[in-house]
Amino acid sequence: MSTTSLSSRSSVQQPPRPREPAGRRRRRDRTLWLYVTPVCVVFLFVFVGPLFYTAWTALHETTYYQIGKFSGLDSFASLFSDPNLANSIGITVVFSLGAIVIALPAGLLSAIVLNNLHRFKRTVRSLFLLPWLLSQATAGTMWVWFLNPNYGPGSAITEALGFGPSDVFSTTGGALVAVTLITAWWSYPQAMLLFLGALQTVPKELYESLRVDGGGIWRSFVNVTLPYLRNTIVSVVVVLLMLYVQMVTIILVTTRGGPLRATETLSMRVFNQVFQQYNLSGASATAILLFAINVVLTLIALRFRRRETL
Amino acid sequence: MTTSTTARRGSRWGTILRGVPRWLFIVVSALVVLPPVAWILSTSLKLPADTIQFPPKWIPDPFSLANYSGIFTPTNIRFFLNSLVYSCGSIVLALAICIPAAYVATRYRSRRMETVMTGILVLSMVPAIVVFIALYSMFVKTALINTYPFLIVVYAAIICGQTILFIRNFIENIPLEIEEAAAIDGCSRPQILWRIVLPLIRPGIAAIAIFIFVFVWNDYLVGTVLATTQDMKTVQNGIVQYLQTGYGAFWGLFAAFVTVAFIPVLALFSLFQRWFIAGLTSGGVKG
Repeated sequence: MSTTSLSSRSSVQQPPRPREPAGRRRRRDRTLWLYVTPVCVVFLFVFVGPLFYTAWTALHETTYYQIGKFSGLDSFASLFSDPNLANSIGITVVFSLGAIVIALPAGLLSAIVLNNLHRFKRTVRSLFLLPWLLSQATAGTMWVWFLNPNYGPGSAITEALGFGPSDVFSTTGGALVAVTLITAWWSYPQAMLLFLGALQTVPKELYESLRVDGGGIWRSFVNVTLPYLRNTIVSVVVVLLMLYVQMVTIILVTTRGGPLRATETLSMRVFNQVFQQYNLSGASATAILLFAINVVLTLIALRFRRRETL
Repeated sequence: MTTSTTARRGSRWGTILRGVPRWLFIVVSALVVLPPVAWILSTSLKLPADTIQFPPKWIPDPFSLANYSGIFTPTNIRFFLNSLVYSCGSIVLALAICIPAAYVATRYRSRRMETVMTGILVLSMVPAIVVFIALYSMFVKTALINTYPFLIVVYAAIICGQTILFIRNFIENIPLEIEEAAAIDGCSRPQILWRIVLPLIRPGIAAIAIFIFVFVWNDYLVGTVLATTQDMKTVQNGIVQYLQTGYGAFWGLFAAFVTVAFIPVLALFSLFQRWFIAGLTSGGVKG
């Protein structure tokens, strides 16, 4: 965030200036594109080609990974008549919003605490960042072991409280709550880092003048911090939403979408359709739906990025 | 409210009281963040029989390093080597293709160039799973699927968007006059890039290289989908395999493996904390 604001400042200071005479420009432009070609080739290979292939497989019948005859929009028809789709969308919404509701305030609070801290700053920052330094696979499996119903300390805690063993991953509700919490636990440092960058741009004088006027911590938070962070909050929400909508790893290592599809988000559904049901065209149809959701989020993100740079 | 009124009196007790909610929050965070990590550490130092005790004990008794020597099997070493190859390969490839692109995109702005850059940015936000299943079904029958170059190209492509964005910010902060002076002295464009720009953006390159390393090292999905044989899998696959295929008292080995797999990331973090965080804040959408 801080780097974006920095670049915006420099681009304001230096309006685009004509660099070379118009006659030489056209000849030079051609070599210019050589610099961009490698990236474009890689992107054609890894992103553009597969996206077209996804559309192609969605429009054809498939047996395992062989493309059969053209089937038009059949796979979309079966996608939207699938009763599990509504379930998947509902779970994606609950999962994403649930994780945001926890990760956003947690990230904001940690950023504010860290920003006002003078002693032990490095230690506390490392503590707050720790979940994110772990890989998603580590975070997921770590909690699986912690909450293990037979040997885990999570179970010891719940038994001491009189609830019996913490067998969260075997009940539908418990699994969804657990996966959401683990994801929030793992991802809140990302929100924190983004907030921390933005908090450093808030002028200290504003807090001081508010203190002189007799405002407390709460007033300074509502009247100074929140208005200054409004844009950042929107962008953090978008970044986190995109992260959660495409989250596969944490769900995959903890529940694989089960039990009884209770944690099967759209992304997880794509994965399971390919690797458990071997239904490539169905998976491609779901993938295109997922892609469409992502395009909407990306457009919001880009629009937002532009507004922030200007 | 009450804490701030005391603080306004300016007494020493006031400042201490003001700090109370802050430290309370830090303690609560520690209680949420640390237990699973501590539990893994504790498990990794236990004897196999002690890991399946209930109620669980937090302090291993007796301490044992058997798990740490037990994880160095040929399969596991191969996992580590694979991850190392993928990480270093993607750093080299991503930097090699992104720095020139970021350079011309910053210094020679045109509408067409901006379109290409926006396209790259938008494409790099496509959900990874969408791309991976297509890549998998496209190449599962070919010889490409389990090769280092293929996976490195995929990894590099995923992080290109962020790398370009990050490097662009650094190039923008170089005064244009330096490059103009070099051009007057007869430097060609590749020479300006190699001799002037590259040395000046070294901190940015370091930050993004650390970021790429951690991203690839911590990634689970590419190794799961695009490496189909055991000898091409990554460290993260190794972690999860303990849970999926383990039997008996495998928890100690699992915990030791998790700990060892975390060491490179931890080392980079503690050695280069400032660059590390700079790379992270470049805005990671892909986790």
